Amino acid sequence: MNKKQLIANNNDMNNEEYDKLIKKHIKEENVLKNMIISFFSGGLIGLLGEVLTNIFLKYNNLNDSYLMTFVVLIIIGSLLTGIGFFDKILSVCKCGLIVPSTGFANTMTSSAMDARSEGFIKGIGASIFKLTGSIILYGIFFGIIFGFIRSMIL
Amino acid sequence: MTYKFRNVYISDKCSLLASTKYNPIVKENVNKCIDDYYMNEKTIEIAESKYQEYTINELIKKERVDLLISGDLQNQILSSTLASSKIGLPVLGIYSACATFVEGIIIGSMFIERNKRNAIVTVSSHNLVSEKQFRFPVEYGAVRKSVNTCTATGSVSALLTNKKSNIKVESATIGVMIQTNHKDANDMGSAMAPSCATVLYNHLKETNRGPSYYDLILTGDLGIYGKEIMIDYFEKISNQKLENVIDSGSIFYKDKNVYAGASGPVCLPLIFFDYILKQKKYNKILLIGTGSMHSVISSNQKVEIPSVSHAISLEVKY
Repeated sequence: MNKKQLIANNNDMNNEEYDKLIKKHIKEENVLKNMIISFFSGGLIGLLGEVLTNIFLKYNNLNDSYLMTFVVLIIIGSLLTGIGFFDKILSVCKCGLIVPSTGFANTMTSSAMDARSEGFIKGIGASIFKLTGSIILYGIFFGIIFGFIRSMIL
Repeated sequence: MTYKFRNVYISDKCSLLASTKYNPIVKENVNKCIDDYYMNEKTIEIAESKYQEYTINELIKKERVDLLISGDLQNQILSSTLASSKIGLPVLGIYSACATFVEGIIIGSMFIERNKRNAIVTVSSHNLVSEKQFRFPVEYGAVRKSVNTCTATGSVSALLTNKKSNIKVESATIGVMIQTNHKDANDMGSAMAPSCATVLYNHLKETNRGPSYYDLILTGDLGIYGKEIMIDYFEKISNQKLENVIDSGSIFYKDKNVYAGASGPVCLPLIFFDYILKQKKYNKILLIGTGSMHSVISSNQKVEIPSVSHAISLEVKY
């Protein structure tokens, strides 16, 4: 039996027809609603950060209190991931939790938790930056570029 | 490629449902229902092999068995190899993603058709293992799309014999691997629908039957959207309407959730043994296992997803 006989007959669909068929049944998700939810949930995290910074400002200078705010947010994100709440909160809050540093903490902690069973060196050490590696790499890369541009213009 | 079998029967089964998340519809009917991802083991990978061990051991207690055919979703079918090393039977490991159960039944039927021997077909899947391997880390907060499926957790073993019983394996069709230009690994239903429709078409053509010959066509894990796509695709290639199709993935969860249904190799046998057969309504049933054969590397490299489906026709008496 040759290949032609096995795969249906000449009524077979080509790729464009099949794409149309998929689009007919699978509807686009409501992006606007998700964006509005993310806007407010992300804004709430920003508000929390602002409050924390103002508290730290009483004891430190501005740079140190920004740093401490980041550290606190990352600790909160990691802790929530560790006790298994982060993904549940995220299904309500959408991407508003991913874009701030809480999302970074969640990505790192979850990778580390998955790799824990493979040991400290080959597991956690090798996999903790599996997903966040790209954030760090391109963060530094574009940081250099935009820093350069800024120093040229200003 | 269709084979007819004369004396192959499924005489016994053991099913284990290991997670009751979203309230699976088979919860009351399975042989054992637990809600335990770890089974007192250190890792989820080994826990999955314990699921398989449990279901195989339950069948071995009752009957002499000559061959074990097993498969799962892990890399290098790890949990099958771990479980079979504890059992000590001659073993064949197979992989065709979520079509593994049907593939196992076909291979087992060919072995025992003339040999007067018994074979066990075992499949298992584990939600967390699949999340970790195919999607994102378990606790990672990925926003789910509506086409995503949620892997069912558990294991099913079925015993194939020559002795007459109420489930007869009548014929089987082995499917061809089909690749469309669909690349999104989140949406496996659209990737698998063409292969499912094609194997159904080939089966009906080679056996000279119409779709209404079967009381029920039970597909694997196409999901809510994949099922509709499959029905349309089949209508396009054969000009026949399908009315008696149930998709096991899309009826698996009773609770409302964000997913398009369940997936995994255990999804089809769990629904078939513990939901369809318990209804005592259908006599001629066609099982189609559908498998999306992508790997993490292939979906990162944007390779079009290949998919394969196999079909077995069963005659059930009550």
